[in-house]
Amino acid sequence: MKQRKLGALLIVVVTLMCLSTYTRNSIAQVSMPRINFQEKTLPNGMRILSAVDHSSPTVAIQVWYHVGSKDDPAGRSGFAHLFEHIMFKATRNMKSEMMDRLTEDVGGFNNAFTNPDVTVYYEVVPSNYLETLLWAEADRLSGLTVDEANFKSERSVVQEEYRQSYLAPPYGMLDYLIEQQSFTTHPYKRPTIGSIEDLDAASLENVRAFHQTFYRPDNATLVVVGDFDTKQLDAWAVKYLAPIPKPAIPLPRVDVKEPERTAERRITHHAANVPLPAIALTFLTPSEKSSDSEPLQVAATILGEGDSSRLYKSLIYEQQVAQSADAITDLREDAGVFYLNVVLASEKKPEDVERALLAEIKKIQDSPVSAAELNKAKNQLVTNELRQRETSNGRALALGEAAVLLGDPNRVNTDLAKLQAVSAADVQRVMKKYFTANNRLVIYYLPEPPKTAALSSVPSARKGGR
Amino acid sequence: MKLFKLPTRTWALAGFGLALCALCLSPSAAVRAQTPQATPPPPAPPRSVQFPKPVEKTLPNGLRVIVIDRPGTPLVTAQLVIKNGGEVDPPELAGLGNMLADLVTKGTEKRSATQIAEEIEALGGTLYSSARWDSSRIGVDVISPKIAPAIDILADVVRRPTFTAEEIDRLRQQTLDDLTVELGEPGSIARYVASRVIFGDAPYGQPLAGTTETITRISRDSFLKYHQRWYRPDNAILVMGGDIRSRNAFALAERYFGDWKKPVVSLPVLPAPKPVASVGPRVVVVDKPDAGQAAVLVARSGIERSNPDYYRGLVANSVLSGYSGRLNQEIRIKRGLSYGAGSQLDTRRNVGPFVASAQTKNQSAAQVAELLLGEVSRLATAPVPDVELNPRKAVVVGNFARGLETNSGLVAQVASLATYGINFDEINRYIGNVQNIRASDVQEFAGSHLDAKTTSIVIVGNAKDFLTELRQKYEQVEVIPMAELDLNSALLRKKQPTAQ
Repeated sequence: MKQRKLGALLIVVVTLMCLSTYTRNSIAQVSMPRINFQEKTLPNGMRILSAVDHSSPTVAIQVWYHVGSKDDPAGRSGFAHLFEHIMFKATRNMKSEMMDRLTEDVGGFNNAFTNPDVTVYYEVVPSNYLETLLWAEADRLSGLTVDEANFKSERSVVQEEYRQSYLAPPYGMLDYLIEQQSFTTHPYKRPTIGSIEDLDAASLENVRAFHQTFYRPDNATLVVVGDFDTKQLDAWAVKYLAPIPKPAIPLPRVDVKEPERTAERRITHHAANVPLPAIALTFLTPSEKSSDSEPLQVAATILGEGDSSRLYKSLIYEQQVAQSADAITDLREDAGVFYLNVVLASEKKPEDVERALLAEIKKIQDSPVSAAELNKAKNQLVTNELRQRETSNGRALALGEAAVLLGDPNRVNTDLAKLQAVSAADVQRVMKKYFTANNRLVIYYLPEPPKTAALSSVPSARKGGR
Repeated sequence: MKLFKLPTRTWALAGFGLALCALCLSPSAAVRAQTPQATPPPPAPPRSVQFPKPVEKTLPNGLRVIVIDRPGTPLVTAQLVIKNGGEVDPPELAGLGNMLADLVTKGTEKRSATQIAEEIEALGGTLYSSARWDSSRIGVDVISPKIAPAIDILADVVRRPTFTAEEIDRLRQQTLDDLTVELGEPGSIARYVASRVIFGDAPYGQPLAGTTETITRISRDSFLKYHQRWYRPDNAILVMGGDIRSRNAFALAERYFGDWKKPVVSLPVLPAPKPVASVGPRVVVVDKPDAGQAAVLVARSGIERSNPDYYRGLVANSVLSGYSGRLNQEIRIKRGLSYGAGSQLDTRRNVGPFVASAQTKNQSAAQVAELLLGEVSRLATAPVPDVELNPRKAVVVGNFARGLETNSGLVAQVASLATYGINFDEINRYIGNVQNIRASDVQEFAGSHLDAKTTSIVIVGNAKDFLTELRQKYEQVEVIPMAELDLNSALLRKKQPTAQ
């Protein structure tokens, strides 16, 4: 099914993108093509990053707004993502869905995603449409004119997205719980998709206030990659983007610190439609800007990437206790979460599988990973990044991420060195540091016991925060 | 987690292939000018682009080798296509071809399952394999300096799998668990049911991944026979694309596949397909009370890939499907009833399915079914205005061009043409063929191939929320409780149906 405005669905994929960025170093006998970018900032604070590439007569245009679901207003979980959808409705000079007329109708496409930290809008169009799209992005940054009917209709779409992503698939609610339960204090505890109740409570007034607060030039980064002329781009930026005023009021920033976990926490959740029981272990990790991020990425790859990964070999292949086993390091701006997530093979007990998982953790803590395993993980990370950068849109995502989330666009070309420098001792160190019993949340996700009346339907396990 | 495994290319399809000014809506006409800032600036003159051209040769053993040399990103995709897939599974062993494609990667005469995984992943590469309709695909994606060792592994698993009892048992249990999980998803169930509804007990009606009963039945002997019969050089195509020179690619093909012996017995000739039996439209509800959302499909037979109406079909489908297609316009954009509605005209060696679908809250399932069917029906009753048709043609062309932009997309496209024996000149004729389609073509196509009156409805969801409304619209509704669903036959239920 063709989907768009995938929002929450893309959160983890984007996290994967964070994995690593490289330069010409040749960890895997291959050079990562350098992204030669230009950077400038308009007087109103809007940053512009651009990289010319004439290989295809197309251009990728992205606008990164430094606002995500952690900035959802009180009692409005899911709002930043709902707002992302609303940005495709009427603006000062565009009717609803006009973005589609300017992209899809000329053979291009558009989309957007929201994650806990950022909201990103992007288009890929034939390059002769660049100026048109800059006009359009400027227009929706300047102001929205969405009406009540369109707002309500799009809110229903987001509620269907919630059902499609979290209620219909068997383990959707486990994903939701991992997001929701891993944090106790920081607004990351509110899943990006929000809750049906909070979405119902959202109003047009919230839309106006949110746009005014966060959609401003000094909170936006334009990224353009593809077939264009830099001088021309600069002139269009001055013409369309520079006139947008920078508000005088300060930008609010989340400054809540998630406290360290001090004891293991365990949750058992019974839900409808659980074909096989599942368990998840989550561990809090530092901000993605931390130098521990690279060793954590390597650790996640060694544990969970591919049929030769430790979890696959041990739990799925040798012991045959798991139907699937994943290790994810979900890197975020303020604090991250590393989780291991296992669907059990039929007729296995969660307690036994938990023990098997803990044994794998102990193993990687007790002895350093082999040189071969370390190199394999690095090669996998490099190759994934190369694939990511095959397209202009992928390169623009890498550039935007370095600039907005990692704080320095140059990291798009320099982070490979950091990844290369990761040693077996680094991997062992971060595993010992973060994979402790006190830093552990354990979730058992089990079918509803037979003949028990539904105590709580899954989505209201805990309302979206606050 | 599953989200992590979403293929990046579902959202990172970037770039385009060519500019299409002839097809563009003029954006300056879309909004009346008030101030210079109030209307979008018009596009500059477009640039054009060339598609890379595949070159090929056939080895003496009959293996067809195709290379697309495209320097740039240092990646290569190599894919070995076997020209048969799930359609040659014996009915009582449905899922055999798919399980076999998986099993070949679980041990060869030279390498154990673990060694195969470790070797390919040490290269930073991935090895994937699956059967689909009309073909099985085993491939490697790897950085270009590592293509030789990757092809070595690819050739080994295709040519010398051992099918040990231990690996068969392990994979069987995994496959059964995978089926259990898959059948927890309303959308998956609905697609399997739709295949049975359209094709009955004919090959395309079978579940590609099998059923609990068929997977349990498959023996080592079944794998050996299937492999011997279909995995042979004169029934295979090797496609390599990306940062690789054709001379090197042909040399690798010779080295790793040149001594792959063609069996003395000739390739089995498949019986000519029977026309899809018209069993009349059915309305099937699978009652799954714990479904968090209903999956709604309308489904019927479509056309085969070789049908001269192929391009008419592509454009007709595009009028319905895609973000701004009619289905999504009516169901998502106008009414907020779904996160996305679309359709697929799946053209195969023989007549394939046409399916329009959306997921919606259980309460609106009947309404969505009616909207889907209504839009399919409307396509035949009135011509599509040019102002709507031209953008939809631009979408078809844009998707096609973007699909060629990544190595994996390029190889998949070429492999698909090769599977169906279509000349590669088609790649460069594609755009013209799409542009030539007129409103009357779409209407005629819909009239002759997408008749809504012979289209079935499948809904998987919590029936009590929509059944009354559905029965008001359709007289004959088959309701099958999830526990009684049987995908082994077109009857779809384990017990004989009881009177409703």
